[in-house]
Amino acid sequence: AMPQYKLYYFAFRGLAEVSRQLFALAEVEYENVGLTPEQWKEFKPKTPFGRIPVLEVDGQLVAQSLAIARYIAKQHGLAGKTPFESAWVDALADQWSDFHRVFKKYWYLRLGVRPGDIEGSKVSVGIPARDSFFPLIVKQLKESTSGFLVGDGVTWVDVLIANAVEDINSKEPEFLSEYPEVVEHQKRVHAIPALKKWIDTRPPSTN
Amino acid sequence: STFLFKTSPFPLLFFSNFHSKVSFFVEFLTICIKLRGYCRRIMPEYKLHYFGIRGLGEVPRQIFALAEVKFENVAVTREDWPEFKKKTPFGQMPVLEVDGKFIPQSFAIARFIASQHGLAGKTPFEAAWVDALADQWKDFQNDFKKFWYLKLGFGEGDVDAAKVEHGIPARDKFFPLVVKQLKKNGSGFLVGDAVTWVDVLVANAVADLEEKEAGFLAEYPEVVAHQKKVHAIPALKKWLETRPY
Repeated sequence: AMPQYKLYYFAFRGLAEVSRQLFALAEVEYENVGLTPEQWKEFKPKTPFGRIPVLEVDGQLVAQSLAIARYIAKQHGLAGKTPFESAWVDALADQWSDFHRVFKKYWYLRLGVRPGDIEGSKVSVGIPARDSFFPLIVKQLKESTSGFLVGDGVTWVDVLIANAVEDINSKEPEFLSEYPEVVEHQKRVHAIPALKKWIDTRPPSTN
Repeated sequence: STFLFKTSPFPLLFFSNFHSKVSFFVEFLTICIKLRGYCRRIMPEYKLHYFGIRGLGEVPRQIFALAEVKFENVAVTREDWPEFKKKTPFGQMPVLEVDGKFIPQSFAIARFIASQHGLAGKTPFEAAWVDALADQWKDFQNDFKKFWYLKLGFGEGDVDAAKVEHGIPARDKFFPLVVKQLKKNGSGFLVGDAVTWVDVLVANAVADLEEKEAGFLAEYPEVVAHQKKVHAIPALKKWLETRPY
């Protein structure tokens, strides 16, 4: 029997969007719980690490957005076809995570989530982070030749990267202009029918 | 001997036309390639490339040791690194070379070896919990290193101030979660009833902390007990006693 899935997060895209997209891509039903700040205060002590997103699977919770994404992906053939491919999916995801950890110091200013010198941060943090990471994605896309990052089909790291790229382009359209292959990849991933359907019908969100 | 002469392929090489010789050669080559593929699947050649220090290479090494899987431990010198860097996928180490192909990123490497040798949880949900704890450790490390790197002598700054501002808060945010999970799980290991790669990851970090700042985890005796339990596992204990650095 299919497990009962509930994905808990705030009611915006953020760190839960990749998992929502994976459920959509796998065409798997789940309950998409968007917590209000008040509901979050109540729910927080019940979570493993005091953070969201968490995924509830038949009543049991698991935390950490990438662990959740990998779990969903593996159950539904979206994590590479061999152990070696899965390792490459994981490696690219961790490389994105390293990039994002640095990049967000600029990006949260751009989003207006935190105050600060946006233009100064763009030069000192945003651009160097971008130019350390996206050449690796371009290189991998060229080596892969399938149009997807690993192997000959879409994996969860394609969804992860495409989501990040869409977010960047929506707020700073020219930021990835030197990486057309990356933007093409995002369009290709988001054109997959099951994913396109989610993107066209998902609730509006600021980020 | 006439039987062998008539049934073996070798007479074909001498007596047949060119087309038969080529067919024989192609078949022979196909068999060799299939045999090599089979051998690689059952016993791949592993080389772990990192600097000659523990660092980010140590957890992958310990996973190999725990799984009792042979690997070549390649220590890249500072002089050789700039050249080798160009060959790596992301310009970083560690990289694991598997029959000549690279895998970067220490957690991807650890999980790759672990999941093929029963060290990544017994079910998909357990594997997800192993991954979640590992990523939680990574979040901790990202905050903690603002103190720890100064303590190890990297960068400029006031070590004692960093300990108060970064080290202690990071510790007190992360290790209660480890204690909670150990108690909830009840087996002595973090996930399920057997050791997984996240036990190795956390125990390695704990041993390093205790070695360089004795007593830092005095308020977390369950965590220190866990480290001792993991490091007492015979295959791992042997590595710890004989490792090169």
